[in-house]
Amino acid sequence: MPATIAQLPVLRLPVGRLLRQPNPAVLTGLALALPAVCYLAVFLLIPAVRLISAGFLTQAANGTLGGPVTLSHFVHFFSTSLYSHVLLVTLRISLLTAMVAAILGYPVAMVMVRAHPVVSRAVTFITIAPLIVSVVVRSYGWQLILGNGPTGLLNWLLLSVGLIQTPLRLLYSETAVVIGSLHVFLPMMVLPLASALGRIDRHLEEAARTLGMPAWRVFHRITLPLSLPGLAVGFTLVFSLTAGSFVTPAMLGGTNAQMLGNLIDQQITAIYDWPFGATIATVLVAIVVSVNLVSMRLLDRGRRVAP
Amino acid sequence: MTSRGMAWVLYPLTAAIMIFVLAPLVIIMAMSVSGSAFATFPPHGFTLSWYGSVLSDADFRASLGFSALLAACATAGALAFGLPAAFALTRSAVPGREVLRVLLLSPLIFPVLVIGVALLRLLSDWNSNSAPLNLLIGHILVTTPYVVRTVTASLMLADVSLEEAARTLGAGVWRVFRRVTLPQIAPGVAAGTLFAFMVSFDNYPISMWLADAQYVPMPMLIYRQVASVFTPAVPATSTLMILFAFAVVLLMERLTGLRRAMAL
Repeated sequence: MPATIAQLPVLRLPVGRLLRQPNPAVLTGLALALPAVCYLAVFLLIPAVRLISAGFLTQAANGTLGGPVTLSHFVHFFSTSLYSHVLLVTLRISLLTAMVAAILGYPVAMVMVRAHPVVSRAVTFITIAPLIVSVVVRSYGWQLILGNGPTGLLNWLLLSVGLIQTPLRLLYSETAVVIGSLHVFLPMMVLPLASALGRIDRHLEEAARTLGMPAWRVFHRITLPLSLPGLAVGFTLVFSLTAGSFVTPAMLGGTNAQMLGNLIDQQITAIYDWPFGATIATVLVAIVVSVNLVSMRLLDRGRRVAP
Repeated sequence: MTSRGMAWVLYPLTAAIMIFVLAPLVIIMAMSVSGSAFATFPPHGFTLSWYGSVLSDADFRASLGFSALLAACATAGALAFGLPAAFALTRSAVPGREVLRVLLLSPLIFPVLVIGVALLRLLSDWNSNSAPLNLLIGHILVTTPYVVRTVTASLMLADVSLEEAARTLGAGVWRVFRRVTLPQIAPGVAAGTLFAFMVSFDNYPISMWLADAQYVPMPMLIYRQVASVFTPAVPATSTLMILFAFAVVLLMERLTGLRRAMAL
């Protein structure tokens, strides 16, 4: 999938040539793409630029934004320990979620690609179906499972088996947010991994095994390296989507595991501080964009090295 | 499977992960028929009465109706913008095609919450006060890339030589599209349409900025009910959402297979 800012090649539109000799196929293509491009320009690009620039403006007492242009909101963000803590928590939760998703994603993707068709279809269905269920509903399910006190499912189970004597505090923690995010974004890891694994020439693995390589080394030396592009796409997707989430940390993290999204909501809905809300949004966008850029750079290099 | 040894590791692991994936949904469904008014373990008794109270609840019906209408309109908009764009990406000689593709799919990686805030700022500056209209604008924005993605994938799989043959034999552009291309991509388009519908139906991070007190989409209603003190019907409402989603997924699986519908 490939939808990444990073893939943006340098704009080299042959405008001159186009104007001199209009090609009907080119004109048709432009006409077909024009409505969508205009829509995105008006309702995504312009608002995004306006929002980001709001982070550099000053809000007057009556709520209007204007000069002087300032970096003070960014300084405030990075120098206040509360905010840098939320930034750190956001990065930690996103990184952990992406890493665990990669570990859990491999077996699922392998089964999806290589198991008997019936098993493969069932695994694909179970993996993808929850993606179509609203995040609010899924987080609610995790609230029921992780509930603090003796009536949460997990606590009740552990207490009745006798593994614990007093209920654990599971809900409203970073762990709970990681579990919830993992549940929400696991398909985003499994699907790119499955397409990468599906493209691997099975003869390579068979040859290695015939030559006496143990299964784990075949995985380590052949399957893993050849599936790295899928892993990179999956990792980038899970990291970016987790970093930008709101519902999961709000419902499972509470005040103990706030993420940047929750901070944006507070600044804008409760405090009505647009410049600072915009500043946090800009930080979030910068994180997502840079992760995508790095990952795409790596993918590009990999493609050039591979034959 | 790869080898005997690998299978012994892979299958139990995958089974455990599938349980992890299904657990929260199964728990919600189990709680929805619990006799106890609190969602606590162990559940007591069996009742379907929560479903009765949900289905007769005016807020639920208003939300469901509004969400369905919003999703239908957003999907129509997404098709209107996304279908031609997918053709431009796969069947035309548009310059800078790669740039275009990245632009069209960019709402997928831009944090949805930030898209919502940015839109709120723009629309409030424009004094656009109609919540349904604002929500529609936002939802079209986030659903269009899904249509672009699935339709592009279908078009790339469709056989171009058939189209060329039809054209050589004298069929016009429109006729080629209707008689040759469309039949080939129809399942993909249908799956993409369903997916776009559900993306809108499930959306929270756009709606949270643009909804008002009168027009509350389903996910926002559930969020509020979960946050509020005493609403014993939440599991039943959630179960209805889950069953609806699973019905749609089954349909998508029938149409193209799920991995193709996702085009990931």
